[in-house]
Amino acid sequence: MSRGSRPDYDVAVIGGGPAGQAACLALGDVPRIAVIDEQLRPGGQILRQPPRAFSVRSWLEGIEYRRLKDRLAAFESLKAVEWLGGCSVLGAREIEEGWCVIVSDGRGARELSARRILIATGCYDMALPLPGWTLPGVMSAGGVQAFVKSQMLAPGYRIAFAGSHPLQLLAAEQVRKAGGTVAAVAFSQPFRQIALKALGRPWTSLTNISRLIAVILMGLRLRAAGVPIHFGRAPLGVEGEGQVQGLRLQDGPIIPCDAAAFCFGFLPQSDLPRTMGLAVCPARPGGWKACHDAWMRASKAGAYVAGETTGVKGADAAAAEGALAGLGIAMDMGILALDAAVRRAPPLRRARARALRFAELLDSVAAPDLLPDRELPADTIVCRCEDVTAGDLRCALESCTDVSAVKLATRCGMGVCQGRNCEHSLLALLGGASAERPGFTARFPARPVQISDLLTKI
Amino acid sequence: MYSADVLVIGAGLVGCATAYRLVQAGAQVEIIEAAHPNAGASGANAGSLHFQLERRFLENGEALADQAASILSLNRLAIAEWHGLADELGPDIRVHMRGGLMVAETPDDVRMLERKVVREVAGGLKSRMIDGDEVRALAPGLSQTVLAASHLEAEGHADPKALTLAFAAAAAGGGARLRQRCRVVAARASKGGYRLSVETPDGPVDLTASKIVIAAGAWSGRIGELFNLHLPLYPVALLMNTTERTNPVLDLLIQHVGQRLSMKQAHAGNILIGGGWPSRMRLDAAGRFDLGQPAEMLTSSLRGNLAVAARVFPSVADLNLIRSWTGITAVTADQLPLVGEVPQAPGVYVAAGGSAFTLGPTFARLLARCILDEPEDRLDIFSPARFSHLNSFMGMARA
Amino acid sequence: MRSDKDVKRGRSMKVSVDGRAVAAFEGETIATAMLAQDILAFRRDRAGRPRGLFCNMGVCGECLVTVTQAGAPRRRLRACITEVADDMTVVTGTGDQP
Repeated sequence: MSRGSRPDYDVAVIGGGPAGQAACLALGDVPRIAVIDEQLRPGGQILRQPPRAFSVRSWLEGIEYRRLKDRLAAFESLKAVEWLGGCSVLGAREIEEGWCVIVSDGRGARELSARRILIATGCYDMALPLPGWTLPGVMSAGGVQAFVKSQMLAPGYRIAFAGSHPLQLLAAEQVRKAGGTVAAVAFSQPFRQIALKALGRPWTSLTNISRLIAVILMGLRLRAAGVPIHFGRAPLGVEGEGQVQGLRLQDGPIIPCDAAAFCFGFLPQSDLPRTMGLAVCPARPGGWKACHDAWMRASKAGAYVAGETTGVKGADAAAAEGALAGLGIAMDMGILALDAAVRRAPPLRRARARALRFAELLDSVAAPDLLPDRELPADTIVCRCEDVTAGDLRCALESCTDVSAVKLATRCGMGVCQGRNCEHSLLALLGGASAERPGFTARFPARPVQISDLLTKI
Repeated sequence: MYSADVLVIGAGLVGCATAYRLVQAGAQVEIIEAAHPNAGASGANAGSLHFQLERRFLENGEALADQAASILSLNRLAIAEWHGLADELGPDIRVHMRGGLMVAETPDDVRMLERKVVREVAGGLKSRMIDGDEVRALAPGLSQTVLAASHLEAEGHADPKALTLAFAAAAAGGGARLRQRCRVVAARASKGGYRLSVETPDGPVDLTASKIVIAAGAWSGRIGELFNLHLPLYPVALLMNTTERTNPVLDLLIQHVGQRLSMKQAHAGNILIGGGWPSRMRLDAAGRFDLGQPAEMLTSSLRGNLAVAARVFPSVADLNLIRSWTGITAVTADQLPLVGEVPQAPGVYVAAGGSAFTLGPTFARLLARCILDEPEDRLDIFSPARFSHLNSFMGMARA
Repeated sequence: MRSDKDVKRGRSMKVSVDGRAVAAFEGETIATAMLAQDILAFRRDRAGRPRGLFCNMGVCGECLVTVTQAGAPRRRLRACITEVADDMTVVTGTGDQP
């Protein structure tokens, strides 16, 4: 791209999930749109597609997926969209013409420019440290789902689920449908607590009664199939020699299994907003969500955010935000008149508000104990990449009051994942994220990149 | 009634090390730190122990290079200092002194190296020229593009973050008090010393001492302003890169005479790549360099730095880059360190400016002696007195 | 374990993981091929303990492996988002050492 020339794209959408798709569908006549995603095919995590080389009958056939699949199909047929799959975004910076995005695919790293950029990079499972959680066979529930949905693989012969988020029921059911065995699904919270949370939000519960019923039915179906569903039994640790052999839960015998999947909630992917210098604020149950206005504009000109990036709230809200962002971008580009945008917005805002209320209910139900009443044993690894233990962190915390100071003293957060899996745990030990406690400094590259790729001229 | 004998401003490597040497000699010391130890360049540093003359001293002509060679006396002291630090402060500081190579890839580079070695040997440093074959025998990963190198056995690296904390702990053990999240906002001469107004998390506090040490790295010039002094220290932002961890492939410190490059494999296994590639500092609301904001990475520096590294040590190109960061350090007007008492402000000492990791512990040891009025002239060549012309009209009236 | 319900996979291929032949199907990720053959360890940590993958979406970095393909220089890739290819050689662990 030569200086002063036209940017490569009018809009660069980072993330091909529901938010990114909805944005593209709402962009209308915007001519040159790039959608960039690390996954090879569009869909995001919720619709993580199997490879083209597979032919899958009845993929994600449930009614809850129908709208999502329709939207995906519509997105995939958009002519103006150039799909850049298998492409990691390493960073983005402001330039005169808009934004310059550094991307890396299998062949090398390059820069591409766009007048406007939409960050719709979704969320990831929140990792919570537990004794034994670094044994091979321990995964996030989302990771298990991805194997089932997109690879038709049950990543274990007997998979035990534990955590606090109801999504683990869905993941367990998907494992069973794929022919796998679920050893148990265990909730840390007593059932009573979950029920009270739902009853405490009667309006939200009523307006989402079908969703709640669906979840309950899922639990009943699992039970009927012989899968024990436990409540009030928090996971205490994972046992095994060299790999998972059992899951230890509160108040009961060890559950024999060869894979343990944890489901404690989700964090927004915030690497890009933070390296771009966009305003973010603490998210629940952890992580950072990008701030925005009513049209999903972020805090810097030409940058927009949508979906789980602005706070984890599910695919419906993500799609509504994506569409709002699309309208906002089209308006800002002069392609859509303000009154036309204002006319199209209300149903999206209503859908978003509805989904947000349900998400809040889910958050309150699923809120994990970031700092369980029982202290983690000192030798429990908290930073997986650098093997930093809870004991190491407690020792550093005797003299450090700052997350960066702890990082520099212990190496927590200095590994390959750059704190994605440990920053929230460290912040929790310090009392939680806040404006005064802004977490690690996010830096380029947002994903690991082979040095030879950065030196390739393509 | 003084708060302490000495107030040290800045809890980076230099501040903590100086505090330690002072308490070892029985002085009462308080360290005032605006954030936390390692918040500045000490925490962003790659930890090179380079005793050979740096490239930056050689790239501005012979006259400046001659002047710069005066640093060799300190470098020699620093070698001895580092050899002793592991015993003194423990293994966590990861002192690794197994040799360093400054490589040459062109005939001009080779000539520059030869002239450098002549200066070094004259200054008492045991560096020597070696040919490409011997280079690759010492460091098998280096490429065929390396024609020759100057080798110094004592060079290597250590862990700057651990070092700062080790000095801080040792200073605290000796009775030094560390005040974190405390910012010096004003300085006045007071009876027999100085009074500092300090903003602390619990409200404003006044601290007094007869001696002040400004060891505030990139902020030292601004702290100097509080004393109505010009300290010619200029913040500069540099780029550092780290790869993922890998098995041991590089035992020596690698630098380059003709290009900006500094490479080493840290104790943890990551390969750290730097060498002085520029980054861009942000400006604050008043239009001054904002030292509190991370500097911006320049893609040209990223590519330039990694390209040299990959050309000289090809296998590094197979590794993933996991983080590039910028750090802000300080350079003086003549590139030499600024260490010693400021003549126009008796009792105010400064220790900052260039190579402050390699030379930091040495500055600390010698400066402590000066502060305690012990006879010490080895820092004279780095004295702020050489910039007295800047402070002819500056300073504060004593009470 | 691979599901055989309602799925027709791509053509079969062979890759090698730490010198061991591993069956795979076109379109599978390296991680899938490994897990399907009960190979759970992708690296060893500082204490030499085996580590498996965690997130399966490219975020955690636990599944970084060294991959060589015919003629191409070796690459360090995340096994969970990298598809297998004919005659791919995979080595777990950091660098060349498991």
